[in-house]
Amino acid sequence: MTDVLVRQATAPAPPSPARRPRRAGRAWLVGRTVLLVIGALVTLFPFYAMVVLSFKPAGPVTFPDSLLPWPFSTEAYDQVIGAKSVLRWMWNTVVYSVVSVVGVLLFASMAGYAFAKKRFPGKEAMFWSFLAMLMVPYHVTMIPTFIVISQLNGVDTYWGMIVPTLANAQAVFLMRQFIASLPDSLFEAARLDGCSEWRVYVSIVLPLIKPILATLGIFVFLWHWNDFLWPLIVGQSLDMRTLTTGIASLQQENVALNMLLAGSVVAFVPIFVAYLIGQRYVTEGVATSGIKG
Amino acid sequence: MVAHLAPRGRRLLRPSRREAGTALLFVLPFLLLFVVFRFGPAIAGVLLGFTDYAIGGDTGWVGLENFRRLVDDPTFWSALQVTVIFTALSVPLSMVVSLGMALLTRRAFRGSKVFRSIFFLPVVTSLVLAGVVFTWVFAEGGPWSRAMGALGLPAQSWLADSVLVIPALVLVSVWSRFGYGMLILLARLQDVPAELEEAALTDGATAWQRFRYVTLPQLRPALFFVAVIETTISFQVFDMIYVMTGGGPVRASYSLVYLLYDQGFKYFDLGYASAVGVALFVMTIIVALIQRLTLGREQ
Repeated sequence: MTDVLVRQATAPAPPSPARRPRRAGRAWLVGRTVLLVIGALVTLFPFYAMVVLSFKPAGPVTFPDSLLPWPFSTEAYDQVIGAKSVLRWMWNTVVYSVVSVVGVLLFASMAGYAFAKKRFPGKEAMFWSFLAMLMVPYHVTMIPTFIVISQLNGVDTYWGMIVPTLANAQAVFLMRQFIASLPDSLFEAARLDGCSEWRVYVSIVLPLIKPILATLGIFVFLWHWNDFLWPLIVGQSLDMRTLTTGIASLQQENVALNMLLAGSVVAFVPIFVAYLIGQRYVTEGVATSGIKG
Repeated sequence: MVAHLAPRGRRLLRPSRREAGTALLFVLPFLLLFVVFRFGPAIAGVLLGFTDYAIGGDTGWVGLENFRRLVDDPTFWSALQVTVIFTALSVPLSMVVSLGMALLTRRAFRGSKVFRSIFFLPVVTSLVLAGVVFTWVFAEGGPWSRAMGALGLPAQSWLADSVLVIPALVLVSVWSRFGYGMLILLARLQDVPAELEEAALTDGATAWQRFRYVTLPQLRPALFFVAVIETTISFQVFDMIYVMTGGGPVRASYSLVYLLYDQGFKYFDLGYASAVGVALFVMTIIVALIQRLTLGREQ
């Protein structure tokens, strides 16, 4: 999981007033378009290559013919989707990502609500220790975390992979920031009506924080889906690999390129779909709080 | 650094002990996870560096022994060198591309959103997948080596060359990251007051002067922020090296995190691996301080 710094917790700035459009020179417009198109082609080329090469029949293909979409064959996909281990890795990746998203959102929103709207002993000390821990590189904590997990017999288990990643302080900061901006009266009214605290959380807080749940949910999903080092050391057996660690192991076994890339396409499609659906949340999340994608 | 902790607005009810208790219950699940898997390990991770902890062995306090070993270990120095060179090349290059693309897509025009989305796509793509594709891109006779040959540059496989392997990895890294910096800078560019630029325009400033004396100073804090994040991430480079080169040829792309991974999870020398982690930690702190003193001094 990528370690992240939290940008200074400032409320999102109000949208700036519309600019008066400047008359831009023709040369500038043409130059800009040319540069952007070149940039886009370079950026997209690896994706194009990934897809085209994954639809090749087995056997050597030399460049530049390899970039043509023929000869066309789906045999790499038949082999990849037909492989029991790859299906298992897909399932592992889904479990790792989805369960982590649910867990992070639940625990971080509960803690964030308490930090934003409640007073309790030890609040400040906890808060500053969360903040301080963001400075410690992930790799320093990873080794003892692995020791803890292996002592608890959590190696090669789902819970061993998932549970440590739920201690996501950055998620708590985001939640706290968002919930703090909600008016107190919303909660007070419910409490005066005699709602229990849990009831307030479930029926008032959760519906109100949907935007931040969506933003954070997509990021946590992306982090886990693409995570590599942690699943590599916790999911050691063939059956417990994720798509990223599985594909890396296939590459080390010199599996044919078309199969490697078919696996990559299979691993990439969910990310691509999540990105398309949640693009607005992703870009706003980066722009307003500097979450690392 | 952080907004004050007290909730805004007047509170109608004084917090009772019961309320404080309930609030603690809300924090408790996260707090337990945090103590066991983040706070504890962070402290243990530093302390382990001073022990000879190994899986399946006795553990003893060895003081600075691991660090002495590190200093005497040529592999550590070469990993440090690889990591520093990689960072020194990839961070500035990535930031220049980020800034360029932010300036180019700054004004909304038809298709500007599409370009931004395209540039951000590699950021959400796993470096393992990118690594698989780029291994093919950089292969002998592949697209990169052909293009280089056509330009009269070295046409061999860059990943197999001990000098060119780092530049190749830097290119992949920039491809995978510049969209992130671009988005941060774009958000900041929206906040640059239009009047400032209008004024400069009225004073007859050239485009370069406007950029140099109006836009760039406004972007300083954002550039600092991006530089810190990019440096931290570059220091921890691992995934794509693991996939593309395995640290080769002959350790020419063997990074610090690779050393940590091998020592800890191949040779099970977790004490020594933790010492590498501590070294990484110290480097991160030093660089953050340097950047704060240079880039961030006007904050």
